[in-house]
Amino acid sequence: MRVSVKWLKELIPAEKIDALPFEDFLSLLDMTGTGVEGTEKTGAQLPGVIIGKILTKEQHPDADKLHVCQVDVGGEEPLQIVCGATNFEAGDKVPVATVGAVLPGDFVIKKSKLRGVVSMGMNCSAKELGIGAGNSGLLILPEDAPVGVPFSEWYGASDTILDLEITPNRPDCLSMKGIAREFGAVLDVEPREIDMPHPQETEESIHDYATVTIENVEACPRYSARVIRGVKIAPSPEWLAQRVEAMGARSINNVVDITNYILFELGQPLHAFDLQRLAKGSDGKAHVVVRMAAEGEKLTTLDEIERSLTANNVVIADGEGASCLAGVMGGLESEVRDDTVDIFLESAVFDPAITSRTSRSLALISESSLRFERGVDPSGCVAALDKAATMMAEIAGGTVVSGVIDEYPTPVEPLKLTLRAERLNALIGQTIELDEAAAILGRLGFGVTASGDVLDVVVPTFRPDVVREVDLIEEVLRIYGMERIQPTLPGGRERIGGLTRDQHIHSRIGQTMRACGLNETMTYPFSDPRDLEKLRFELKEEELLVELHNPMSSEQSVLRPTLIAGLLNVVATNINKGVHNVALYEMGTTFKTAQGRKTPKETERAVGVLSGSWNEPGWNDPAVTLDFFDAKGIVENIAHALCIDRLRFEVGEHPWLQPGRSANILMGKNVVGWIGEIHPLVAQAFEVDAPVVAFEFDVSPFIKASKPAREFVVPPRYPALELDIALVVDDEVSAQSIEQRLISLGKKTPLAEVRLFDVYRGKGIEAGKKSLAYKLAYRSEDHTLSAEEVEVAHEKLLERLQKETGAVLRG
Amino acid sequence: MSILEQLEELKKQGLEAIEQAQTTKILDEARVAFLGKKGSLTQILRGLGSLSKEERPVVGKISNEVRQALEAALESRMGDLKSHELSERISSEKLDITLPGRKRPLGSQHLINSITDEIIEIFAGIGYNVAQGPEVELEYYNFTALNHEPQHPARSASDTFYVRDLSGEENDSPEPSDVLMRTQTSPMQVRIMEHSEPPIYVLCPGKVYRRDIADPSHLPQFTQVEGLVVDEGITFADLKGTLDHFVKEMFGPDRKTRFRPHFFPFTEPSAEVDVSCGICGGKGCRFCGNTGWIEILGCGMVDPNVFGFSGIDAEKYSGFAFGLGVERIACLKHNIPDLRMLIEGDMRFLTQF
Repeated sequence: MRVSVKWLKELIPAEKIDALPFEDFLSLLDMTGTGVEGTEKTGAQLPGVIIGKILTKEQHPDADKLHVCQVDVGGEEPLQIVCGATNFEAGDKVPVATVGAVLPGDFVIKKSKLRGVVSMGMNCSAKELGIGAGNSGLLILPEDAPVGVPFSEWYGASDTILDLEITPNRPDCLSMKGIAREFGAVLDVEPREIDMPHPQETEESIHDYATVTIENVEACPRYSARVIRGVKIAPSPEWLAQRVEAMGARSINNVVDITNYILFELGQPLHAFDLQRLAKGSDGKAHVVVRMAAEGEKLTTLDEIERSLTANNVVIADGEGASCLAGVMGGLESEVRDDTVDIFLESAVFDPAITSRTSRSLALISESSLRFERGVDPSGCVAALDKAATMMAEIAGGTVVSGVIDEYPTPVEPLKLTLRAERLNALIGQTIELDEAAAILGRLGFGVTASGDVLDVVVPTFRPDVVREVDLIEEVLRIYGMERIQPTLPGGRERIGGLTRDQHIHSRIGQTMRACGLNETMTYPFSDPRDLEKLRFELKEEELLVELHNPMSSEQSVLRPTLIAGLLNVVATNINKGVHNVALYEMGTTFKTAQGRKTPKETERAVGVLSGSWNEPGWNDPAVTLDFFDAKGIVENIAHALCIDRLRFEVGEHPWLQPGRSANILMGKNVVGWIGEIHPLVAQAFEVDAPVVAFEFDVSPFIKASKPAREFVVPPRYPALELDIALVVDDEVSAQSIEQRLISLGKKTPLAEVRLFDVYRGKGIEAGKKSLAYKLAYRSEDHTLSAEEVEVAHEKLLERLQKETGAVLRG
Repeated sequence: MSILEQLEELKKQGLEAIEQAQTTKILDEARVAFLGKKGSLTQILRGLGSLSKEERPVVGKISNEVRQALEAALESRMGDLKSHELSERISSEKLDITLPGRKRPLGSQHLINSITDEIIEIFAGIGYNVAQGPEVELEYYNFTALNHEPQHPARSASDTFYVRDLSGEENDSPEPSDVLMRTQTSPMQVRIMEHSEPPIYVLCPGKVYRRDIADPSHLPQFTQVEGLVVDEGITFADLKGTLDHFVKEMFGPDRKTRFRPHFFPFTEPSAEVDVSCGICGGKGCRFCGNTGWIEILGCGMVDPNVFGFSGIDAEKYSGFAFGLGVERIACLKHNIPDLRMLIEGDMRFLTQF
């Protein structure tokens, strides 16, 4: 909320505010719960603009439309100023911008020559000073304006505006009155009483002009109204216009400005209807009804937009239909215009929830709706009405018809609470004397009676946020000062902190991927259905994508069922930026749902992508293109780091992977992920023009399969005897099957290790076949093997292997 | 030439050859030539048989002397040559050690996760456990049980992502659904209190979502760490002490905290916490908007209504909760100018951390 310091100083003795440096005053507000988001000096400081008196006015020798004036600005000599305005005479007092003056818009006044005549400044209009819109020539000042005095000082235009963050629980602070009370409590000073006059009334009765019916009391707990007749709509007096403009409203006319003034001063939104434009019944009276709008009911609001209402909106209607969107914005039809003479003035309270929904659904936020949606105190309606009516009589020349219509079926009763000293201190952790607590609450407007260790507190109706003892404790604490509480640490018992086994294993997965050279990234959980199409991603039969009702865009309309689409986009981003070596992983949530599910199934998955090579070619480090086996090695390393011995790979095809270069990752018999080269067409669809290998797996089976540690194996004590063999097999035969065969046949021999060291196709090998070269290490646990021992076992093993697998030993 | 003369000649030639040898290889050839099985000395000694009994011991003695002299010279020369050759090798193998090393690439952790881990470590050290919850939440946990009024603006579909509910159940939410992307990690407060008995000391890190357009200072996704303590006798002073400790661990022992009263629906009293600016040390500079302070988190004492929703006796137990934005801390610690860098995945950004 904007707060005028000038106005504030009328409500709180200025010397109390000026007693501390302004910065400290602001910080005091910050430290008691009123956030100061900014300050702004307004109302033009107008340096160099002085009140001057025009001594002479003569025709410019060379220009019909210019005059040459001698102007007394309090200096030794009068200034010669050339002026184009016509609305003045010698003897008038005007604001004079002297040489060096700065006018709004950083317009600096310089000595100049106009058609050959020297001008030492400028006589100013209100518009040029930024204090009025009129374009009717110079601002002629009253006769008693003191010559030689800085204009802004005399005029009082300068002000400081505080931009305050009022938390949603404090509707009472949305007015100058409430702010003065709050700041008074903070500064420990009693704010000045605000004058609340009662209007002089004519003998006519309001009941001859209007009736009010509230159809829905929940939507409108109180509706009060007055009638003011014979007003003359005119621009507001300067002080009133200044006030409402300082608070951020536009000055419109005297009547509308008065309603805004009351809103800013007291926090009570008012609405002035043109009584003549409200439909009359056969009895000649306006029958005002507060009711829910009919579905589709039309109302053109003040901003000239025709709005289609719903049954959730509250309207103020006359006999012919809605004439105001209650608590949000008036109707165009019954608006106060220049020819308005009779006013029907509303001071009411509307339900916060309904106002807020109406304001949001129509995207219409007004000073009124802001206050109603946080809660306006119903107790203040009539006093605000009376003050506004009095002002309309004084300022707009109206007469106030006798009586007030006040529909208020269930008056609000102040709430009574007790505050226990013991509870106060137990929750805060430090003793605050009950007397001090009582004084703080008293300053905030609470009624307080001490009885022993307890305060009996009456909560004022303007504090709907305070409903429990703990709310009182907060009030005491924030004014007492959180800074004054000495920090302690919880004592606590029976507590052991730290991560669980699963959480530790979880972080080991990430650690291993990083140790393998992958960099962690983070993408949105939102996915583009078109990306899933590009991926040719298919859900299982019963599975469904998770859709958002209100995505930011169609590119983010579903929640990702897989991480790979996001990562392929990241690869593309990198390649577009000229980064060709990409090694990334992400661990994140994926989402799937099904008919009948309320919330989706969330699964944490890990994804890795590799493209390019590990490094740029170096002087001693060639760049090797990353392939399937780099990715596979990472998954194998994860299994190793987690002591998993049930991890397997098996040929498995996925639409987004290149056939023949893709596999499933299995934990025992369960497929828990995939690994492979991204299909060239899919890569192309994601605008990735380089081969990408990737893997993705469910995280939780890895954690579940992880063992605390492997069994210790004594390192071999005797040397191994190593023999190399090369086997020619059909291309389709998997290396894994040969290796498994070797290991199982080797069980009857001292074979200890099998290592594939070469795979060869080409010259010397028949087409459709490949050569697999293995290093076989034979070793005994209890002696050094002799060449003869090994030879016998080796020959036997090769013989059986060839017989069983059809492999042929290569010469 | 007598055999003694031959031996004398052999010694002379041998010593000369040894001295002349410039490499260990040549030296070794010399050894073989003079002392080897088929070497000169052996050849000479073959003639030993033709000598008289008297001569033999004399020749034997002399030949031994010759052998020893040659062997000694060989050893000494070999030592010299080896050490020379080693120093030759060493000087020829000199490296330009300024050439870059051969690195196995080391991956990096995402900045946000590494800060989250750092926070977890700080709180694990003072007895907290870690819990995580679903990212798609029920409106009940995200708002209602956290004491948000039905008309609370954060509930609106302009601020919160709503998720299609396929249960077919009716609900009375005015919003499109009563299932949503959690907007805070606070729902975990309720979930934890529903399922566990105090004492509760728990930290809940996780991603949260709000309908903000991505720009340098906003992302629709960010990371929060929620803290919750429920125990007998927990005070506001405990909350202050705990967060003081956290700030000093996270930002350095010289940093100060200040608590400004604020409003959150699920805590009462509530506060926002500022940390003294690390750039100006609290004097005020452009970085902290001349205030000397930077806001880092929100906190407060658990509202009795939240205890009510979670079935915890608010007269017996009290507690505090706090929530901090990890992205905000990342920006403060590393001067990240644009939050979007965090989710873009640019290798050149990621590998810096």
